[in-house]
Amino acid sequence: MESASAAEPAPTGAVASEGDKGLKGGALGFLSNVVIGVASTAPGYSLAAVLGFVAIEVGFQSPAILWLAFVPMLFISAAYYYMNRADPDCGTSFTWVTSTVGPRTGWLTGWAIIMADLFVMANLSQIAGLYTFLLVGWQSAADSVAAVTAVGVLWIAVMTWICVVGIELSARTQFFLLAAEVFALGLFSVVALIKVYFGNVAGSVDPSLSWFNPLDISSGSALAAGVILGIFIYWGWDSTVTVNEESENSSETPGRAAVLSTVILVVIYLVVAVAAQAYGGLGPLKQNPDDVLSALGGDVFGTPLDKILIIAVLTSASASTQTTILPTSRTALSMAFAKAIPDRFGHVHKRFQTPDTATIWFGVGSIIWYVGLTIISENILFDSIAALGLMIAFYYALTGFAAPIYYRRELFKSPAVMRTAGFGVLGGLALLGFGFFVSDVWSDQGNAWTALFDKASFANFIATVCAWVGTVGLIIGTAVAFIRSRSTKNLILVAAAGTVGGVVLTWAFFKSAIDLSDPANSESGDSWFGLGPPFVIGIGSLLVGVLLMLVRERTHPDFFRRKWKTAPPGSLDPATPTPVAGPSFAGDETAGGGPA
Amino acid sequence: MAGEIVVGYDGTECAEAALEVAIDVARDLGTKLVIVYAYDPARIGGEVHDLDEALEKRGREVTAEAVKRSEGAGLEVEVQLIKEKPSVALSALASKRKARFIVLGGYGERPVTGVILGATPHKLLHIAEVPVIVVPVRE
Repeated sequence: MESASAAEPAPTGAVASEGDKGLKGGALGFLSNVVIGVASTAPGYSLAAVLGFVAIEVGFQSPAILWLAFVPMLFISAAYYYMNRADPDCGTSFTWVTSTVGPRTGWLTGWAIIMADLFVMANLSQIAGLYTFLLVGWQSAADSVAAVTAVGVLWIAVMTWICVVGIELSARTQFFLLAAEVFALGLFSVVALIKVYFGNVAGSVDPSLSWFNPLDISSGSALAAGVILGIFIYWGWDSTVTVNEESENSSETPGRAAVLSTVILVVIYLVVAVAAQAYGGLGPLKQNPDDVLSALGGDVFGTPLDKILIIAVLTSASASTQTTILPTSRTALSMAFAKAIPDRFGHVHKRFQTPDTATIWFGVGSIIWYVGLTIISENILFDSIAALGLMIAFYYALTGFAAPIYYRRELFKSPAVMRTAGFGVLGGLALLGFGFFVSDVWSDQGNAWTALFDKASFANFIATVCAWVGTVGLIIGTAVAFIRSRSTKNLILVAAAGTVGGVVLTWAFFKSAIDLSDPANSESGDSWFGLGPPFVIGIGSLLVGVLLMLVRERTHPDFFRRKWKTAPPGSLDPATPTPVAGPSFAGDETAGGGPA
Repeated sequence: MAGEIVVGYDGTECAEAALEVAIDVARDLGTKLVIVYAYDPARIGGEVHDLDEALEKRGREVTAEAVKRSEGAGLEVEVQLIKEKPSVALSALASKRKARFIVLGGYGERPVTGVILGATPHKLLHIAEVPVIVVPVRE
């Protein structure tokens, strides 16, 4: 039929690599990759939504949480990045977990992604509604739940429409918006810190290095809650890695862009957190957890300059809405394609080329969820973020574990020495994680680290043994892996990155779930069925997912009979060149394969 | 033979109108017709792999129809599925092939709507290096 299907590669690649245009294209690509990375994570909105709650959990240790929470994210993303490189066909978390761990787990992963996105929409629209009123200085409306909710609903509707018709801000526009956002946050920090050091601000506290020390966090529960909140603020960063992977031909640029966007993010978070708590101490953070930045911005800048910060949060929230709705509808599309959910969610709009049905369903669902939750519980913010953190931890942990599972054959067929090293690293990590978990959950000790050395109880004994054996195994395994081989190092790193990320997030998931089940720990203080609302929301929605999955399996069993996939032999050995980033996507096998 | 006609086609009614005109022009001039289906989902937001695949599949399906119609009109036809913004894809291909015309449909949206939705004809008129024929959709 077709005389030539995509025989010519997309002109992008060609244009970008031709002569002097190539340089320009590369430079732009680098910048826009960085911009996409930072904008997807939405630093302004994330800080506005979470900083106060983190302070409530860990006090002055917020900066410690902010860098600590990044570690599991980094590992999960690294695992993701390597898997994408080895198997560009792997697609999304859903596809990935489905083919490695199994269809049922995969189904639940997809469900958790959609639920997490649903939860964040409530929070996002609440912030958007609130800050809209704060921007125009209409305080009485900002104090009215009904008014804020109305604007929030409008916000969701508009954003859903934007995602359906496929409006995309150009890289240049995004660049300016992001630059303004970063500038506003930076200016806020600088002004606040100058006033702290040279001015006479009531209640200010001089920054201290101990703020960065996670060992000073008072309890394991606070640590877990902080990490769960922290995961939320880095959520979205992982998509950078995959976007980077496919958007550039150069093998250098994507990695460098990911690194730079990471550094920017972590620095912004740390600096703003330090400035915020130095300026007013913990009081303002704890009293206004739902609008920290506007409250502090007013003090630091005075009017009308404080509007800068509010605008920054609003633009950030709009970027975040897009990076929430788009992946959700695309995950739904993937699930529909795999016959995991009804076909209609896979519908693509003819003209706009977007998954319109899934997008609209998600928009409507978000509004119902947001309004429903607002009616039921006055204090939805913390409860929904905490539940959200559970969902993210759930699916990130599974995605992390998928890496070692996917590469298990490679790991086990390698030479005896490397096999031992692999076992050492992975087993060590698992044991270490288990040890921390046991010591933390089943011991009376408040602090996970001191608990390790307390042999008062049997649980602590087990924890100590696990931790020590795990540490020794980890050290020896890593050492052997690095010394003995270069070819398998990659493999061990992939598996280890996934396992570390998975273990940390699994721990955070269970620990946090147990803590959140106590109604006293919820922000609202409400008790649903004798349990905390965040726990009910998070675990409840997973259970609903299990139910829906069973129904689907009954009616459409095909998806659930899928076979597992493992890594093709040698896929991570350096001898086989890793697939070139861009073109391999443009012309994968179904496209008839252009000249790569 | 130089001077092919490049037509942007996505299966919408607007594309049908363009195809109709493109077939007429190609037949009158006795040249080859190149049917272009371009797609480019936003990279931001990630999770783009299956959508790309879905769009490519859609592209194959709708262009197959268009090929049938063009061949029915006795034309030599070629199909190009290009992963790129439609305006960029059309102009780049047309320049490279030294095409005679680019033909595409326009919804005739009012200017503001067109700007918001990023109307392809509007962009194409600015960047194309060959003449562009915009075919209006009749209500």
